[in-house]
Amino acid sequence: MQFNSFQYLVFLFVAVVAYWLLSERYRRPFVLVASLAFYATWGIRFVTIPLTLGVLVFLLGRSMAANPNKAKQWMWLGINCLLASLAFFKYREFILANVNTIMTWMSAPHLSFAKSIALPIGISFYTFEAISYLIDIRQGRVKPATLMDLCLFFMFWPNVMSGPIVRARELVPQLHFRLKFEPRFVFEGIDRLVWGLVQKNAVANLLGIWVNKGFSPVGAGMPSTVDGWFLAIAFGLQIYFDFAGYSNMAIGAARLLGVTLPENFRQPYYAATPPDFWSRWHMTLSRWIRDYLFFPINAKWMGAPLPLYASLLGVMTLVGLWHGAGWGYIVWGLMHGAYLVLYRLYESLKAANSVIGQSRIVSGCWRLLTLVAITAAWVPFRSPNLHKASGILSSMFVRFSLGTAYSFTFYGFTLVVLLFCVVEPIVVRKLSEIEENAGANGLSLFRILGRPIAYSCGFLLFMLFDENNTQFIYSQF
Amino acid sequence: MLPDRTAIRNAARDAATQIAGRPIKDGQRLVSSGLIDSLSILRLIALLERKLSVSIPPETLQPEDFDDLDLIAETIERVAKSAG
Repeated sequence: MQFNSFQYLVFLFVAVVAYWLLSERYRRPFVLVASLAFYATWGIRFVTIPLTLGVLVFLLGRSMAANPNKAKQWMWLGINCLLASLAFFKYREFILANVNTIMTWMSAPHLSFAKSIALPIGISFYTFEAISYLIDIRQGRVKPATLMDLCLFFMFWPNVMSGPIVRARELVPQLHFRLKFEPRFVFEGIDRLVWGLVQKNAVANLLGIWVNKGFSPVGAGMPSTVDGWFLAIAFGLQIYFDFAGYSNMAIGAARLLGVTLPENFRQPYYAATPPDFWSRWHMTLSRWIRDYLFFPINAKWMGAPLPLYASLLGVMTLVGLWHGAGWGYIVWGLMHGAYLVLYRLYESLKAANSVIGQSRIVSGCWRLLTLVAITAAWVPFRSPNLHKASGILSSMFVRFSLGTAYSFTFYGFTLVVLLFCVVEPIVVRKLSEIEENAGANGLSLFRILGRPIAYSCGFLLFMLFDENNTQFIYSQF
Repeated sequence: MLPDRTAIRNAARDAATQIAGRPIKDGQRLVSSGLIDSLSILRLIALLERKLSVSIPPETLQPEDFDDLDLIAETIERVAKSAG
C-alpha cells in the first residue's frame, strides 16, 4: 500500500481516529497491529523478517546488558547477522551477476539461485536502525528496550517503508503514546501530508514521465547537450520531490499520532558546498553514516589527511551501494566521495591562504560547481547501465549539440519546478510569518479560509495527477 | 578525579567557543546546527582532555554526543564512569 493511494488515506484516517478514541493503555498494541497490517499489504510473508530481526536484537541487547564483558562480541554478532540478512535479500543477485561475469571470462558454468526473492520493503532502513540500537547499547547511550518497544520501533508504519532513519533514543520514548490530544497535531500532520501528496503526484510523477523516456535503455540514441542537461536536472528534481514528498507524508502521519520524526531535507539544492549538500539531503542517512561509520573511522586516525580522503571515498561508495545493488549507484557514491575529497583539499588550501577563503567569487564558484557536480552525479544513479550514463554525461560535458527532442511542456515544467526550488525558502518563511500573525488573531481570514483552500487544492492536484499509486523511488532501496 | 558538572560545563563552553570562534550559549546546538563539523569534534575532544585531565576515547563516541554543553558534560561523565 503506497502512501499516495486512496487505500492508504482511508487506512490513515481510520487508524488515527481509532488511536485518539482509545485509552492510553491500548494505544501501543493498536499501533503495532496497525503497523503489522500496513506492512502485510506488501506481502504477508515478509512480516516475519522485521519481527525476527526485532526478536534477535532484543535478545542480543539483553545479553549485552547482562554480561558487559561479552557485550562487544554480542554487538558484532548482531551487526553481522543484520548485514547478512540485508546482503541476502538485497545484494544476492548483484553479487551473483558479477561472479557470473568472472565465470564467463574463465569459461566456467554460470551459477544461479533456484528461486528469486523479492526485496522486503524497508529492510535497508530498519537494518540501519537495528545496528544503531546495538551500538548505542554497547556505548551506553540507551538501555535495553522491551520486545514491544523494539517491534514498534522497527515496524512503526509512518516510517517503516523508507525512513526517516531514527534512533531508539529519539523514537522509543515517544512510542509510549502518553500525549493528550491537541488540535495542532491534526493541523501539522495534514499540512505535511497534503504537501507530500502534491510533491509526489503533481511534481515527481509528472517529471517521471519524461525522465523515464529519456533514461530508457532502448531510447532513441544519445540526447543533445540541451536534452542531457534537462534530463539530468529533471531527474534531480524528480527524486527530490519524490523522496521529500514521501518524507513529508511519513512525518505528517507520525505527527497525526503526536509523534515527531526527524526532518530529512532542508532545501538541498541551496547547498553552497558538497559537504553542505550532505547536511541538507537525506539528513537522517547522512547523520547515521557520520555517527556510526565516518566519525569512528576518522577518530581512530585523529583526522589525518590520507585516512580522511580514503574514508570519504569508501564511505560514499557504501552510501551508493546502500541505495541499490548496481554499478550506477556505486559510481554515484564514488563521484560524491571525490567531490568531498576535493572540497577537503580546497579547505586545506584555504587555511594556508586567507584571501581565497574570503573571496565572494570563490564561494559563488563553489555554489555553482556544487550544483553542476550534484546534477552530473544523478546521471549514473538513474541510468539503466553505465554505457547509457557515459553517453549522457559526454553529451552534457564533451559532445556539444543543440537539438531538442521533447515537447515544450517538458522544458517549461522543469524550469517552473526549478524556479520553485529557488523561491521555496521565501515561500516557507512568508507562510510561517502569516501563520504567526494569524496566531495573534485567532479568527483571521487565513485561519478560516487558508487551510481549507490549501487542502482542497492539494487533494485536487493529488487526484488529477494520480497514476495508479506510482511507486516511491526510495521504496525500492 | 573528575571535576563536578559545573566545572565540566565551563570547560566545555571554553573549548567549544575556541573551536567555533564565537561565544557558545546554554542549549545552543553545535553539531546539528552545523556550527562545528564532525572533524572539529576531534579537536574539541583533545581540548577537553587537556582542560579536564581525562581520557576521552573518540572512537566510541559520536558527534551528536557533543551537540550541546549539557550533552558534552553527560558524555564526559559517562566515559569517565565506564573507564573507571
